[in-house]
Amino acid sequence: MPALLRLSAFIDSITAFIGRSVSWLILIAVLVSAGNATIRKIFDTSSNAWLELQWYLYGAVFLLAAAYTLQRNEHVRIDVATSGLSKRTRDWIDLLGHIFFLMPFAALMVYLSWPFVMNSIAAGDISVNAGGLVLWPARMMVLLGFILLFAQSISEIIKRFAIIRGLIEDDASTQHELPPLVEELESAADLDKRMGKQ
Amino acid sequence: MIEFLAQNLAPIMFVCVMAMLLLGYPVAFTLAAGGLIFFVIGVELSIFAPGQITLSWPFLGLHSSRTFDIMRNDTLLAIPFFTFMGLILERSRMAEDLLDTIGQLFGPLRGGLGFAVILVGALLGATTGVVAASVIAMGLISLPIMMRYGYDRSVATGTIAASGTLAQIVPPSLVLIVMSDQLGRSVGDMYVGAVFPALMIMGLYALYILALTIVMPKSVPALPPETRTLGGGVLSLFVMIALAIGIHYAVFNYALTDWTYEWRFVAAATTATAFALIVALANKWMGLGVISRLTTEVIIVLIPPLALIFLVLGTIFLGIATPTEGGAMGATGALILAIIKGRLNLQTLKEALDSTTKLTSFVMFILIGARVFALTFYGINGKIWVEELLLSLPGGETGFLVVVTVIVFIMGCFLDFFEIAFVIVPLLVGPAETLGIDLIWLGIILGINLQTSFLTPPFGFALFYLRSISPKEDWDDEVTGERIEGIKTGQIYKGVLPYIAIQFVAIMIVIFYPRLVTHYRDEVPEIDLDNVTIELPNLGGSNADGSPVNPGGLGLPGLNLNGAPGAGNGGLGLPAPGGLGLPGLNLNNEPPPTGTDGETRENGSTGLPAPGGLSGPPPIQ
Repeated sequence: MPALLRLSAFIDSITAFIGRSVSWLILIAVLVSAGNATIRKIFDTSSNAWLELQWYLYGAVFLLAAAYTLQRNEHVRIDVATSGLSKRTRDWIDLLGHIFFLMPFAALMVYLSWPFVMNSIAAGDISVNAGGLVLWPARMMVLLGFILLFAQSISEIIKRFAIIRGLIEDDASTQHELPPLVEELESAADLDKRMGKQ
Repeated sequence: MIEFLAQNLAPIMFVCVMAMLLLGYPVAFTLAAGGLIFFVIGVELSIFAPGQITLSWPFLGLHSSRTFDIMRNDTLLAIPFFTFMGLILERSRMAEDLLDTIGQLFGPLRGGLGFAVILVGALLGATTGVVAASVIAMGLISLPIMMRYGYDRSVATGTIAASGTLAQIVPPSLVLIVMSDQLGRSVGDMYVGAVFPALMIMGLYALYILALTIVMPKSVPALPPETRTLGGGVLSLFVMIALAIGIHYAVFNYALTDWTYEWRFVAAATTATAFALIVALANKWMGLGVISRLTTEVIIVLIPPLALIFLVLGTIFLGIATPTEGGAMGATGALILAIIKGRLNLQTLKEALDSTTKLTSFVMFILIGARVFALTFYGINGKIWVEELLLSLPGGETGFLVVVTVIVFIMGCFLDFFEIAFVIVPLLVGPAETLGIDLIWLGIILGINLQTSFLTPPFGFALFYLRSISPKEDWDDEVTGERIEGIKTGQIYKGVLPYIAIQFVAIMIVIFYPRLVTHYRDEVPEIDLDNVTIELPNLGGSNADGSPVNPGGLGLPGLNLNGAPGAGNGGLGLPAPGGLGLPGLNLNNEPPPTGTDGETRENGSTGLPAPGGLSGPPPIQ
């Protein structure tokens, strides 16, 4: 078990690093997109490569950050029916969900995306838009995203199993009473209050 | 038995997957797993219901290309942009400044704080689309003041929660973006269509407060004049407004007449605003005393939101930017605003990006899951089942809309709006088209519905947010030192009930007066900048990809030009699911032949299948 937990921690550190890193791409996408509109209006010119870059960045963000989002327990759930159940029951639901819902899905997507990407690389797939970007790196994101998600599902299974066995404590920072976005907004508001800025 | 199962697989699947969702496991993966499980069942049972189940193993291979198509969806790119903008704006404390100043302006009127909250809610809604940010800001700033001066608890909390949800119906809202994506219509049209209904809802809220000032004046008391720390002097505000309007009118009609309409309008508005701002700033810094301090502050505080509204909505409506780019412009503007106000540092920027990333990821994975679900569901004739079910309703168009409203309202009490938008809404497109219902109109009706779902106890998100920041325990007021009772959850629920009723009235008005929405078709069909990625024209009939092209009620079922066969599907050579031949199949993210993204699927303003060049800017070759 300790070896498995080390594996889980290793996976977590990789997905978290990737998730945090790709979040900067949103800032770049914002600037690229705003720049596109401005340049098109002012200079009356536009480039397909820059337009395509927007969704390239976006795709990279949401696909590569999915594993990180899972790790932070921020994939949205409908807990209307289950919020009243005991923590233990919910842990079991999570464990079984990871094994029977998430893992097969992620594995299947990796299996399906592999030829999808390899064919694209072999064919030297380039966007048909004039001046467009090479396409295979974008397709590669689908593959990478699901590989990370698969790895994260293994890590989550290990952690959830260990929690059920009482070997580790559940990470309190992933227990949300409120949607995480709200928690963040609130903590920002609290911070300001403490700093006397309000 | 097996035959019975096979022939009724669609309803069985629908019920089973909905039940699976209630397990409380993440929605995205539950939908995907449900889709895959029933895919296997469907393939195994296909021999028992040959006409109905059209699934076979090779279809599974479509999932990777379908995911890739979600990825290159420009429209949904607006989700992270607007979310990021909302988070940054929160840091810039624009909402607080607005509430403070507008509250002082209206405060001494009876019901004044209520009006202020509605107005600020609308202004915040028009800059970004994040309900949480609006509700939290208003709950933190306005609620204590309302309590201090004896507002009725229910009225105060209800007004704050409801005004916060305005962010979901006032353009540029995320609900409208997702809705137009799922309905396959232009976001720009959806925005134009939403303007009057949104104004109407704001008006109805204000009417409710007005009615309270007459019927129950004690519940919405006026604030004592000494709360106006900025002093009085409303007259000079009226003078300034009149002057600004005058300048706008003069510039627009008499100067720059050789400019195009849009730019003349922008120039006039900018001049008028700049004039007001310069007077206000000069007055403040040089102590001129030409206008009152209150007026000065009101003008200064209104500039940031108005500038942002221009950056976002102005550029979209004037055709300068696509809705996605409008979001990016707004986010950039919010960043600049936060920097100017000295409220942005690396840490807050990181946190905002991190939150945006996680939100985007879960939203997009719900969409991925929903499309895994959809591939199976459509393959076992689920579309037809839903269509027959909805078309068998009495009452035609109105009956359909009323029933859909009720269904979505009930679902909205339990499901998140993203689930409804990604799973349920695509199923409504076919029947709506058969009945000749304008999809923008449908989208607005659903949008108001989903806005309401933020308000319905016990799971409405706005209530959740407000509950989380309003004090449960009694507290001592900072100013008066008096003991104020905590706010009970029941009081919040009671407070939103009148607003839920107002929402129902609003939906009914929109259903019975479609002109509120459909006026968007009167606009001169201008170049639709929604799809800026430019395709090579005439490439394999991808032009009308999935576009429900009959807002005029032509009702052509089976107008199925979407997902032109094959080519884009990773070389598997299968027909795209669009080729399943179901009428009005709204697989609007379906692949056009490889690489021709930005096809003109959103040619809403003309109501005709747009030829390749019409609904995009001139091709760059």
